[in-house]
Formats: sequence, structure tokens, C-alpha cells
Amino acid sequence: MKRILALLLVLAMLAAACGGSDDSADNATDAGDDTTDTTASTDDTAADSGDESDGDSEAAGDAATIEMWIAFSDDARLGFTRDRAADFNELHPEYNVVVTEFDSYNTVFEQAQLAIEDGNPPEIIHFFEAATQEALDAVDGDGNPIFKSVTEAIGDRTEILGEPVVLGDVVSAATKYYTIDGQLYSMPWNTSSTTMFSNMDILNEAGITEPPATWAEVEAACEAIMALPDAPSEGCITWPNHGWFYEQSLGQMGVDLVNNDNGRSGRATEIFLDSPEAIDYIQWWSDLENSGNYVYTGVQRDWDGTSAAFQAQNVAMLIYSSSDTTALTQAGVDNGFEVKSSFMPYNQDIAYEGNLIGGATLWLANGLSETEEDGALAFLNFFSNPENAAAWHQLTGYIPITNSAVALLEEEGWYNESPNSAVASDQLDAAADTPAATGALVGNFVAIRDVVTAAIEDVLVNDVDVAERMASAQAEAQQQLDDYNELFGE
Amino acid sequence: MSGSLQLVLSLIVGAAIGVLSYGYRTPRQAALGGALGVLGTGAISAALGFCMYAADAESTEGVLGIALGAAFAWMFGAGTRAVLNRPGEGSGVGGGGFGESQIRTGAYRLGWWWPWLLLSPTLIILVFFLYWPAFQTFRLSTKLTRLGAPRVGERCLANFSELLIPQPVLVATLPLVAVGLIWGIGLWQRRSNPDSVGYSVARILRPLGPLVLLLALYFIFEDVNGGYRRIYLNTVIISVGTVALSMAFGLGLAYLTFRRIRGVTVYRTLLIWPYAVSPPIAGILFFMIFNATGGVVAALSSRWGIDFPDYTQNASLARMTIVLASVWKLLGYNLLFFLAGLQTVPRDQIEAAALDGANAWQRFRTVVLPALGPISFFLLITNLTYSFFDVYGTIDFLTKGAPAGATSVAIYEIIRVGVDNGDLGRGAAQSVVLFLAVIALTAWQFNQSEGRINYGGA
Amino acid sequence: MAVRSRTREAVNNAGGLSLNVEGTGWFRGHSWPVHVALWLAMMVILFPMAYAALVATQTNAEVFRFQLTPGTGLADHFDQVWNDRNLGRYMWNSTVQAVLVTAAKTVLSLLAGLAFVYFKFRGKWIVFFFVLITLMMPTEVMILALFRFVSFLGWKDSMAALVVPFAASATGAFLFRQHFANLPRDLAEASQIDGASPFQFLFRILIPLSWNAIGALAVIQFVFVWNMYLWPVLIISDQQEQVIQVGLQGLQGIDTGLTFGPLMLAALLASIPPTLVFIALQKPFMSGFALGADK
Repeated sequence: MKRILALLLVLAMLAAACGGSDDSADNATDAGDDTTDTTASTDDTAADSGDESDGDSEAAGDAATIEMWIAFSDDARLGFTRDRAADFNELHPEYNVVVTEFDSYNTVFEQAQLAIEDGNPPEIIHFFEAATQEALDAVDGDGNPIFKSVTEAIGDRTEILGEPVVLGDVVSAATKYYTIDGQLYSMPWNTSSTTMFSNMDILNEAGITEPPATWAEVEAACEAIMALPDAPSEGCITWPNHGWFYEQSLGQMGVDLVNNDNGRSGRATEIFLDSPEAIDYIQWWSDLENSGNYVYTGVQRDWDGTSAAFQAQNVAMLIYSSSDTTALTQAGVDNGFEVKSSFMPYNQDIAYEGNLIGGATLWLANGLSETEEDGALAFLNFFSNPENAAAWHQLTGYIPITNSAVALLEEEGWYNESPNSAVASDQLDAAADTPAATGALVGNFVAIRDVVTAAIEDVLVNDVDVAERMASAQAEAQQQLDDYNELFGE
Repeated sequence: MSGSLQLVLSLIVGAAIGVLSYGYRTPRQAALGGALGVLGTGAISAALGFCMYAADAESTEGVLGIALGAAFAWMFGAGTRAVLNRPGEGSGVGGGGFGESQIRTGAYRLGWWWPWLLLSPTLIILVFFLYWPAFQTFRLSTKLTRLGAPRVGERCLANFSELLIPQPVLVATLPLVAVGLIWGIGLWQRRSNPDSVGYSVARILRPLGPLVLLLALYFIFEDVNGGYRRIYLNTVIISVGTVALSMAFGLGLAYLTFRRIRGVTVYRTLLIWPYAVSPPIAGILFFMIFNATGGVVAALSSRWGIDFPDYTQNASLARMTIVLASVWKLLGYNLLFFLAGLQTVPRDQIEAAALDGANAWQRFRTVVLPALGPISFFLLITNLTYSFFDVYGTIDFLTKGAPAGATSVAIYEIIRVGVDNGDLGRGAAQSVVLFLAVIALTAWQFNQSEGRINYGGA
Repeated sequence: MAVRSRTREAVNNAGGLSLNVEGTGWFRGHSWPVHVALWLAMMVILFPMAYAALVATQTNAEVFRFQLTPGTGLADHFDQVWNDRNLGRYMWNSTVQAVLVTAAKTVLSLLAGLAFVYFKFRGKWIVFFFVLITLMMPTEVMILALFRFVSFLGWKDSMAALVVPFAASATGAFLFRQHFANLPRDLAEASQIDGASPFQFLFRILIPLSWNAIGALAVIQFVFVWNMYLWPVLIISDQQEQVIQVGLQGLQGIDTGLTFGPLMLAALLASIPPTLVFIALQKPFMSGFALGADK
């Protein structure tokens, strides 16, 4: 029965398509596309207005659904989000926040783009920092922006549906990164930085009392560690080959990744992948690998593999995201060694400028009804209220996102109890307020990071010349940026 | 070369190809073929807005433009011939094997619309859910476009030409030389006396042709960092390895389990079990076995003092691991089909051969293998499809294309470029390349098996 | 059982299709080397499955200790996988999808086979090629274009999106065409003389003679649908409607980092339905794919 129905539908479509193509005479292909878009968006408008009238006429009846898509599928972080949504739904029975999980930032990004194209995006979407420019630029078929600035949507309200607005209280590191044209387009949520985790048992055994702070100190420490009779089996240190670490290093050395003040005073049009500082960093990395100290797991963006090597005590040090501070500290407890977190090592020959943030923010869909928008905004502010933000930090290791959450944690004595948890916030607070230490805003960032990690992998695995390889990566990345600007630029 | 000159050249090539593909037995036929060729070339040129002849077109793009025109000329010529020719007159690709000769009587004589009514559900679904998206993919492949972008850029054939080396002369000549060689050897074989030395030499040389073509393609793909040559090489190695090993082992196991021994059903069922496992899960399983940190083999061998090599550090090992996981997953499927195929082996011939004193290997080679022809062909196609497409899930879990892109095959690159990086145009262009490769391979297979295998009955 | 299979054989013989009974005696010699070889093959081939079964019982710590005895996590894992992560729901969705796709493919392919074998029409060769070439047009390469079209139809998050695009099958049409062509011609002639319509001919004569081929097709299609991954990831975002392979993917990150136990347990559970289908349809499968060589 279903099949017959479906077939009838297809037949109907066939008829519709034939009718459609009759209208558009010349440019069959383009016109076809337009027809698709218009039809889809008309459907959508119809559906939306239907929703609205529902909400207005029987506000007391069905709860308005706020869909939220997030990129976390693990029990802890997904569970936290689900629990907060449940809390919110209890406080505001007129709303029903529904959380849908995806397994990575990339997946949620792709899915959101497809849903946007389909004309039916969720109300709240979780985008990582590298997607910021693309989210800002995204438009629907009629050229309207897909997302609405959270600052603009909140306006001068201090509370929404009884939930105090916390947007103005967001810590400076996140505000600095995500403020564009003087406003926060999205609501900062999980924010981290790159920190180093050291297995203090091994370090102490090698006569090292403090984790190394600079590149030179890392080399010295590794020499001592690898000289131990029971040196760690895989090597001394590891971190994932992810573009983020490269960007962090540029920030430390005060080098911009793109022009126009790292894309913050105007749209980035030129990229600088092969600056002398960048080459120094990759050369140092490659030398560390060639001397047997750095362990390359062989896979790009290998968060799982590097973390597993550290937890299994196969390496002594791990440079990682502070997002896993709690889990890594606990892993040390479970496996019987002391884990100490410290700043990401920097180049001692160049004045330190600052590390950047990483993580993701929550974007608000454009074109929502007032009821939906207020509900979504109320939830966003509730979700990061001091208690929730503090709990989130304690659960994961992402920095407490508001100043009042920091104050709350200090009051509780959390940082004395868990000194590792303070490192990321301290590192971000130590950063200068310069474009380089803020991080780049650039289109096609995912593809550009891909170019960087592929080049670095080539250096690590095939021992090609760093300067030459980065020069060709530079050309490739510039092409990616040019392509992006051709489509989105003014 | 100026644009208009290029257009004229393209049309001449089109006309020639049209004549060749349509036929040239009579002047009228040749003229029609030429016209069809010009029509085909002209049609595709017009559809693309003659962009490949634009004065600023890169030279490689120009070569591709001519090749594309030639391909359409061939499609128009051969297509028209296939439509006009009565079925069963040995038309086109696979005419013998897939012709209509076997149905001579027993056909219904009802209204002309009857067969169309029966076929309509299938055709409608294929048109809407396969041909239409395929057409869209072709269209996208000439664009620069991203989801959510306010504009679409025109790239003409640049998405394709950037996969190739920037030397148009080599791009044009290498494949032609290879095709010429294949054709020449075939001609030599046909023309020479089956008993002569020349015939035998030609027969020995014959398999060399496709190898030369593979090699020619290797050299026309771009080589600099991130170039497509690497992807091409990975795809060839991984798919050839997967198909060859899984078919060989599948046949071996089928041969072992095709007999009346105790517990044979249990053996079969257990051996076929991995077929029920999906490609991504196959990837995870092999990850858990071979991974350096979390893998059981590495851990156990280090307990015994053996330093087990880490497959992510070595290109050949990484490819081997992918092949191994794919073979493991495909084995059950092949076993299943070979078992079914073995049932068609004529028992009396086996017995006759045995009475003639043929040993097991001789019986296998002379009687069993030929009888397995149709099944082998079917499996070749499906295994190839697996190693081209389904292998994605396995790679995504085992290596993610590492080390340094040594296991990044065509489908992996398509998803990385088109989906992960959101570059729809380049992703579509690579899809078209892969699509053409599959079509070409299948057509070649049809050709090879034609005459030796008959898919019909008596 | 014996009687039934003999009847089937009789029908097959009556239809002119002489099948070699499996396990014929054309292999000579002792059987113990065969047993040894098969045992060796099984040990190699089943090792990943056996290890997966072991890991399914172990906590992550036990996995990393490479303990070779069953661990302590099985009950927890089952609870996580079945109750928290709703594996049953995903398996049910996949089962519905697989059954619908298989049924639709069978019906459509039977009709196509009927048209190809028992009718003469202009352009038949072209139509057949048109159908056959889709064997080489996998959805994967044009997945984005397909996504656009299917969401234009408004089928996102629906069973229709999982079924309709896959309802036609080149494999099926090809298979039934071969199968029908192998049947004796006088069947169709006799039925025409009796005045039966093509549909009556299909249902009364052809289908009863085609159960083997139908069963064979069902096995392949069931597994094909069951293992579908890329397409549902794109088209289904409502977790209630999601299919098994995507659900399995979500199990990778129950904890931060890979959690092997629950994932392996789920993978093993997920491999049960296709295996059952195969066991149930083994007999027809074996005979159904006996594509005959030219005699």
C-alpha cells in the first residue's frame, strides 16, 4: 500500500515537474533549480504560519518545540544538555526543548547546511569556531541571512521569560573571539584552549619537577625522559595533528593567519600559511618526531589515539584540548599516576603573545516567530546561567563561560581542589588583546585546516622539506579562500 | 590556439568519431554518422555555453573539451545505431551476451503499451532517483558552489582539468597511444592466422593493453602535493587487491565447502557470517585488532617481545590492512555466490574428465572454472563496486586516509572534498571521474566476457 | 521436509530447470584434510567476531589490559545499548525499511523481467541497457543531488526517503530476466492459448517457479539495506526514525573517546537479523543464483 502511495506521489511529481519545465523556456537547468527553491520555501512559509497560528490560538495547549542540534554524542555531555533541556521544559511548560545529537562538529555543520537548504533548520545549532565566518555569511534561497545575531535578538532586555540575560557577562576570551562588528552573533558555550597534560610520575622519575614551558624545555625534558631505563614505550610527547595547534602556535608567536587583522577589520582575502614563524614551528615539530620524542599516531585529527596513548602511559606528555581536563585528570587517578595540566609550550626565541580559544557557540535561526525566538533565547541564557556554566566546566574542563560562574566556582573553592581546571582560563587571560592572539576569522576554514594538516602529515611521515611543502600548501589554501570569497565576498 | 579554431577542430573530431561509431559501409551511412557526430559535439558544447573554447581557456581544459565532444559524438552515433538496429543484430556493447536472440517465440502480442506499463514503475524510479541526480551531479561538476552561498561560480571544465597535469600535449596523447596499442594488438590478433606465431604473441600481449592504459592514466593525473595521482594509485591498488583476493579466497572456500561432509551447513553459515557485518563495523573490528595502542595483536605480540609494526606508519601496511578488512567482509558474499555457481557445473563432464585421468587441478581448470564464468562476472562487478564505494566506511574507521593520504581512495576523497569541505563542484567533478571509471571498467568487462559467457539459457 | 523439497525439485524439473543437488560426489578422497582446512579458515575468519564478543563483555579498562577472559561489563553494556541508546528502535526501523525495500524491489523486478522476456518492443535493448547501467550508478557519488531532490519531495525524516529511491533494482531485473529466459518457452505459449493475461501468467506460473530467485534476491537486498549508512545519515535527522548503522555510529562516543564494549555488543546484535535472514533463505539462495552456463 505504502509503495503504491509512494509511486502515485512520484507520478504526481512527474506531472508537476513537466508542468514546471513548461514555464521555464530557455535556461532549463537554472530555471529548474529556481523552481525547486521557490516551491520549497513556499512550503516552508506555509508550515511556519501554520505553527504560528497554533502557538497564538492555543498557547496553553501544545508546547512550542525548540529544536537544538549539538555535536556531542557522549553520555556525559549529551546527558548534561538533555538534563538542562528537561529542567528548562519543567520551568517553562509552554516550551519543549528537544536535543538532537550528532557525532562531530563536521557532521552537525553539514547537516545544518543541508537543513538550511531544505528550508527547515532547527532553532538552535551548535557550530564550532572554524564555522563562524561561514555561519555569518550563510543565506537562504532568497538571500536572507540564516542566523540572527543573538545580541540583536536580545536587544536591551535584561531577562527573557524570567531568565536573566547572561550574554553581557561572558568572559573576555570568548567575547574577544566571537564579537564581530561589535556584537555577538552567537551564544558562546563550550570554550577551551590548548593545554599540556604531564604524567608527573614519569617526569619526577626523570628529575623534572615542573612541566616544561618552552620548546627548548620540552626537548630537554624529553631527553631526560627517554633516557630512563623504563622510558614510555611509544615516545615522550604527543598531540593530534589538527590545524588548531598550528593556529595556537601562530597566536603564541604573534603572527596573523590571514590579512585584515586576522579577518577582524575586514573580510580576509589573503592567507599566510608559510610565514617564517610557522615554518619554525613545523620544523621544531618534525625535529622532535625525528629524534623519536614526538609520537605521530599516523592519523590526522586523532584525538582518541593520542589521548589513549597518554592514558596508557605510553607517552609522558600530551598537548590537548582543555575540554578533557576533568576526564584526563580522572584517568590519571584511575590508572595510578598524577596528571598535571600546564600552558601549551611556546617558542622561547619569540615574545609570547597569547593562546586562542577553541570550541563552539550556539547559533539562533533567523525568521522564527516571536514565541519561538523568545523561547530559544530564554533557553540559551538559562543554559549558561552561573550554576549551569559552572557545572558544565566541572563536568568537562571547558572554561566557565561567564564571570559569575567563575566567581561561583571560586567561592566553592573548586580551583584549590582541582588546580588543573584553572589552567585554561589562566592561559586565555594571559593572552594579549591583539588580532594574532584572538584567532583568525576566515571563510572555508575547515578546508584550509585540511590543507595545513595534510602538509604537516607529509612533513612528519614523508620527511619532505618544510618550507617547500608549506609554500605549496599556501598556494592551495589561497585558492580555497579565493573560491570562498568569489561566492560569498562583497 | 584560438577559440574558433578549437571549435572547428572539435567538430571535425566529432564527425570522425560519429562516422566510426555509427558505421561507414555506405556513403549515406557515413554521412549520417558524421552528422550525428557533429550534432553530439555541438550539443554538449552548446550546453556548456562553448566555455571550453573561450580564448582564456586553459589548454588542458581545451583538450578535455575536445575529448568531451568526442564522447558525445560517440554516444550519439552508437546510440542511434543501437536504436535503429533491430534487436539481435549484434549491436553495440555486449550485443552477443545481452542480445535478444534467446526469445524467439512465446512473446505476448498485446497492445504496444503493455511492456511499458510493466516497466514504468522501474523506469520512473530510476529516472527520478538515479538519472536525475546523476544529471545534477554532472551539472554541478562545472560549477563552483557551496551550500548556503548567495552565488554560483562557473568553472567550465576547470574542476576536471585541475585533476590533470598541466601539459595538454601529454594529456591528449598518452591515452590515445594506450588505446591505439590495445586496438592494434586486437587487430593483429584478428588478422593473423590462429596457428601462427604472431597470433600467439598477440594473445600474450593482449592483457598488456589495459595495463598500458592504467599506466597512461597514472601519468596524466596531477602529481604535485595533494594531486589526484595519489588517489588514483590508492584506488587501483586497494580495489585490485580487494577484488583479486576476495574472489580467490571465496572460490577456494566454496570449493572446500561444496561437498557432503559432516557439519557443512555449520561451516558455511559461520564462514558467511562476516557478510552480515557492515563496512564501518569491519573497520572498527580490524582497528581493535591491529591498532598500535588499542589493538590486541600489537599488545599480545609485545608481551611476547615481538615489535608488531604499526599500520598507520607505513603506506603499504595501511593499504594491506584496508584490503584485509575488505576481503574479510566480502569473503562470505563471494563464498555464497560461488557455492551457487558450483551447482551449475555439469556433473557428467567432471566425471568424464575424471575417467580420462584428469587430476583435481585439471578438472578444476577445464570444467569448473569455465562453468563459473557468469557468476565470476557478476561477482567481479559487485566486488568492484564494493571496493570503489562501500570501502568508505572501513577506511573512515581504520585509517582516515592515513598515512599521508596513502589510503585515501576516490570515494573517500569525494566525501572529504564534497561533503566535509563543502566544495560541491569539485566533489561532483570527482564523482563524475569515478562514475566514468566504473562505466568504462564494466563496458570493458562486458567486452571481455562476450562470446565466452552467455547469460541466457539454452 | 523431505517431501517438500522433492516437490520443489519436481516442479523445477517440470519447468525444465535441472539443478544439481548440492554436495554431489565429484570430489574424491578423504574428508579430514578438508575439515582441517575449514577449521583453519574459520579460526582466521571468525577471530574478529570472537574478539568482538569478548570485548563486548569488557569495560574499557579491561580492554586496554588485553585481558583474554570475559569481563564484567556485559550487563551494563546491554543496558546502555538497549535501554539508553534505543538500539531496538533502530533495528526495528531498519527491519521495516529492509522488508519494504525488498518487497518493492521484488515486485518491480518481476514486472520488469516479465516485460523483458515475454514482450517484443522497439528499443528493448536500449531500455535494458538503461536499466542495467544503473548497476554502476551508486547513490554515493550523487548523494547530494539525491538529497536535494528527496527533500524537495518533502520526504526528509520519513520512511519514504529510505525506501522509494531504492525500490527499483537493476540486479533484480537482470536476475529475473535471466531466470525467465531459462524457463521453457512452451509455458508462455500454453498460457496464451489458455487465454491468460500477462498478470495471470505471472502470478500462476512464473512466481511459483521463481521462489528460489525471489529468496536469493531477498537475501542480498536485506543485507544491502541493513548496511546502508551514508544516505540515512544525510536524510534522517530525527533520531526516532534513524536506522541501525547510524545508531551504531552514535555508540562510538558514549564516553569521551571510544568505548569498545557497548559498540561491539551492539555490532554483534546488529549482525543477527541479516544472519537469520540468510539462514532462513539459504536453500532458495543456493539454487536461486544458479546462473546457468551455456550448454
